[in-house]
Amino acid sequence: MKVKWILLALVLFVFATPTFAQGAAPAGGTNWVAITSGFAMAIASGLCGLAQAKAVAAAAEGMGRNPGAAASIRFALLLGLVLIESLALYTLVIIFVKVV
Amino acid sequence: MHHHRELWLTKLFNDYLPGLGNAFLKLVGMPAEPRPWEGFIVMQLLVVLILVALFAFLRPRLSMDRPGKLQHVFELIHEFVYNESEGAVGHTGPHYIAFFGTLFVFILSCNLIGLIPGFESPTMIPPVPAGCAIAVFLYYNLVGIQAQGILKYLGQFAGPMIFLAPLMIPIEIISHMARPLSLTVRLYANMYAGEQVTLVFLTLTYFAVPALFMGLHVFVSFLQAYIFMLLTMMYVGGAVSHEH
Repeated sequence: MKVKWILLALVLFVFATPTFAQGAAPAGGTNWVAITSGFAMAIASGLCGLAQAKAVAAAAEGMGRNPGAAASIRFALLLGLVLIESLALYTLVIIFVKVV
Repeated sequence: MHHHRELWLTKLFNDYLPGLGNAFLKLVGMPAEPRPWEGFIVMQLLVVLILVALFAFLRPRLSMDRPGKLQHVFELIHEFVYNESEGAVGHTGPHYIAFFGTLFVFILSCNLIGLIPGFESPTMIPPVPAGCAIAVFLYYNLVGIQAQGILKYLGQFAGPMIFLAPLMIPIEIISHMARPLSLTVRLYANMYAGEQVTLVFLTLTYFAVPALFMGLHVFVSFLQAYIFMLLTMMYVGGAVSHEH
């Protein structure tokens, strides 16, 4: 169980490395803004992934139990997914604004 | 942040109509520039022109007895917006479908025009979704005041019980301010990220593979336009709802 979470965190960090390409080291030191933005995006994406998985799982189970209500459940699912998605996108926008 | 090469249509506007662009800049007090037209302004004008031409083409062909294919398409769109507004706003929803439908068709067309090579989505540039979100903010407040009167509308901010008002009013004001912000950022970030993902994969793999991401971007364009319209309807519903 613990190994699974460590592997998940490592995979997320690896996928966040493209954001490092945007950072440039200032004259004397390391570019902490770029490093922090990589971690921030990874955490935001990971948590939003978990939240969306929970939403989809609940919607799929609901549609399985009550196929007649599938249209309403699908509507609530889409609305929920888009609102959760926008939380990850707020982090992405901060990265675009702050990383040189 | 936005250092694109100029689009061919923007180049035409800047080569032949710089005076007109500078006249608009002077209207708002900005100094004149050598190449005043921006890509997203030209793209918005193009989208408006296409939509007006489309509706002008449609209008004489509307018929009760023998509807053509174009009429069927627009009847579908109309019924879709009508039903969604009834669901989200209530039975007074269809009074406002002019605004909802215009918003939906405009944002959808702006999102999709970026897929054509040589054009870019104006919704990819932050001021455009911000303009739509500010329009929505003004619209739902004005509609709320029109439906309930200004005192009752402002009374909504005080919450269910009067002694809760000093707590509720700052919370309500902040959440109302967050609405245009979230609308803007959601639309802008989805469109910008869609283009960036395609470009990044273009540098990583072969030439035609990123077309898959453009396909995903089509789906995201529809979804984001629909969500923008749906959230607008929910805000209007919240503003007019306390009648019964």
